[in-house]
Amino acid sequence: MGASPPSTRTLDTDRRTFHKVASIFLGSILGVVLSVPGVAFVLSPILKRSEGAEDDSGSDGFQPIAKISDLEEGIPRVFPILGKTTDAWVKYPEEPIGAVWVIRKGQEVKAFSAECPHLGCAVGLGPDGNSFYCPCHTSSFAFDGAAQNKIPPRGMDSLEVKTAPSPSGDDPEIRVKFQRFRTAIPEKTPLA
Amino acid sequence: MLKRLSDWLDNRTGYKHLLEEALDEPVHGGARWRYVFGSAVTTAFMIQAVTGVLLMTAYSPSSSTAWGSVYYISHQMVGGWFVRGLHHFGAQAMVVLLFLHLLQVLIAGAYRAPREVNWWLGMVLLFITLAFSLTGYLLPWDQKGYWATKVATNIMGITPLIGAEVQKVVVGGNEYGNQTLTRFYGLHVGVLPGLLVLTLAAHVAVFRRHGVTAPPKATGSDPFWPKQVFMDTVASVAVLGVVAFFAVAERGAPLDAPAEPSSSDYPARPEWYFLSLFQMLKMPAFAGENEVIGAIVVPGAIVVALMAFPLLDKLIPRKLAHFLACGLVFALAGAAGVLTVQAMKEDAANADFQANRVKADAARKRALFLAGHPEAGVPPEGSRYVLLNDPLHTGMSVLERKCLACHYFDGKGVLERGAEGKMVMTKQIASDLKGFGSREWLSGLLANPSDAKYFGTSPQLGGMARWKKSSKLKPDELEKVVDFVALFSKVGAEETIDDWLGREEIAEHPGLEPFKKDCGRCHMVDPEGILGEGGEEEAPNLFAWGSPRWTRRMIRHPNAADRYGFLDEKDQMPGFDDTELTDREMSVLLRLLNGDFVPNPPETAGETSH
Repeated sequence: MGASPPSTRTLDTDRRTFHKVASIFLGSILGVVLSVPGVAFVLSPILKRSEGAEDDSGSDGFQPIAKISDLEEGIPRVFPILGKTTDAWVKYPEEPIGAVWVIRKGQEVKAFSAECPHLGCAVGLGPDGNSFYCPCHTSSFAFDGAAQNKIPPRGMDSLEVKTAPSPSGDDPEIRVKFQRFRTAIPEKTPLA
Repeated sequence: MLKRLSDWLDNRTGYKHLLEEALDEPVHGGARWRYVFGSAVTTAFMIQAVTGVLLMTAYSPSSSTAWGSVYYISHQMVGGWFVRGLHHFGAQAMVVLLFLHLLQVLIAGAYRAPREVNWWLGMVLLFITLAFSLTGYLLPWDQKGYWATKVATNIMGITPLIGAEVQKVVVGGNEYGNQTLTRFYGLHVGVLPGLLVLTLAAHVAVFRRHGVTAPPKATGSDPFWPKQVFMDTVASVAVLGVVAFFAVAERGAPLDAPAEPSSSDYPARPEWYFLSLFQMLKMPAFAGENEVIGAIVVPGAIVVALMAFPLLDKLIPRKLAHFLACGLVFALAGAAGVLTVQAMKEDAANADFQANRVKADAARKRALFLAGHPEAGVPPEGSRYVLLNDPLHTGMSVLERKCLACHYFDGKGVLERGAEGKMVMTKQIASDLKGFGSREWLSGLLANPSDAKYFGTSPQLGGMARWKKSSKLKPDELEKVVDFVALFSKVGAEETIDDWLGREEIAEHPGLEPFKKDCGRCHMVDPEGILGEGGEEEAPNLFAWGSPRWTRRMIRHPNAADRYGFLDEKDQMPGFDDTELTDREMSVLLRLLNGDFVPNPPETAGETSH
């Protein structure tokens, strides 16, 4: 580049205005072309509707967990939940994807997701053995799932249970429909 | 010559002027040690940038590869443990130094007009650093990072109105996985460094505009070079020294077991400088419906208060404003300290937490051991399968869940909550499975079938005891029978009885005749009766006994005619179909029973790994 051309001083106002407006306009095109797809790209988890999260193996979403005889009256046991998962571009075969606590009173069986409704840690048994307890922020729950202190926003998330006669005979099979729910809010809202 | 070259370069670039501007900058009131904190933080950042780029050349951000690549960096690459150790402890040094820098600026009153904007830029740098820390914590995709990130992003999710959507964007969906990692990685190595460099450049530029805030009575002035540069360099070397000391003393950075989303007892904890916030969420005042207060409102209010410090001077007398600002920060630091100590004390006193940590540590040791073992390693399906495919880890857990309600293993059942909440050992009503199918197990069985280890606790299986009473086999014959039956466990998966009997070493085995004479009276093995006619008492078919194929059928169909179908239904073992025991679970269980796994090294022997 040499010295600035002598003609600059002779530019009239219209020309100057054109250069200003055109620069801003062309610059905006650059910005829009890059930012619109960029923002959409980043937001794709909420823009993309069908996020193929879980694909439960059973047609109705219920899967067998245990038999009635596996449970002693009033003593909860934890069982893994199996499921086929899609992790972005990877499809995994059936494998453990979560855990449920199951407890029996007579023939009535209740199942609770082991995911803490507070902030999503894994709920275990309390030191006294008579309650559920989350090791992260000390959320505590009774065996019926009710919150026992003020830490969690709601009780443990109960899951739908079906008890079906097993093919082998009279020991009914416990089937559970596993779901995940939003944490840290008072309402039990399934994750879409 | 050199002079002419540098003159030429200066003529073309003007670098001398730039250099002079940078180095001859006057430090009003003279160079001081108290001004080193800014440089010290920058040095910490430089350590992070250099080690970070090195780590990028070896790290692989996906849920199946991340853990393995970090394992490889820390345990296989030359100097990898040191580079990652520097990065790990450099991150913590950066947080600590930022806080010290903030304190120094605060005490000196350097946040006041005309330096408000630089105070705010400093705050922005603080957030960028914390964002670095949060995103970096996840990248190894180990248990620690996985669960801590789950909690942190769930906290994000409770932000009013936008929380749920923000969380979904950050996590990359509802589930934590590949998209979470790629996003956190992109933030950690691209977006945040860019933001930090830009903000830091602005921070330094604005700092140069206003200069240092000298103490009131300070006089004179030093150029930046060389006295202040010397002090800054000493501080920087000290920073590197401390970071390197920790990296060496701790033998690099920790790596927990690979992330396992189905864990039901992982005791998640955040990095130590977030422990005070963590502890706050355990307080009833900030729990339940008030969660949002503890997790969002209080931290947000603290940030707003810090930001507002420079504006206080306009409302109240300068001295009072300074006193209040310092007072608030010291009070907050004190409170954070108390909460942090409280969090640590509670964990130390919590037996359940400690027990879960011991379990998690055993899984970590096992995973690291297997990843580096020539016969194991990280499988192509992903790091998670290091443990999922391990008979000692997953097989043992399947055994405990599915088998040990009736069987024992190595003299032990499982602890269960009894009626009064006390832990009691399950009652043994079936054999001890340790070594099942091995020559040793078999030899014990034939020596004393009524031992609790074999059929002593299952009265319905009295056949072997009756045989023992009536058997006239001499000890050396019995030994030969043991040798012979032990060969069953080596029967191939596809081998038929005819193939097997056709093998020379079987047809001519000295144990064959005594087997036929004694065992063959009850156990029918081949339809032609070469190994005995059976029928005296009902007994299972022993062909391939102790091999994976025999045991698999025993587990799937214990009531089959060639197994224990002859028992009363109430005396039978329950069968496990593939919904109750998946093929993967079956495979690791059978390998556990057959001893087909990489044993723990001697120093950790005896530890079960989950």
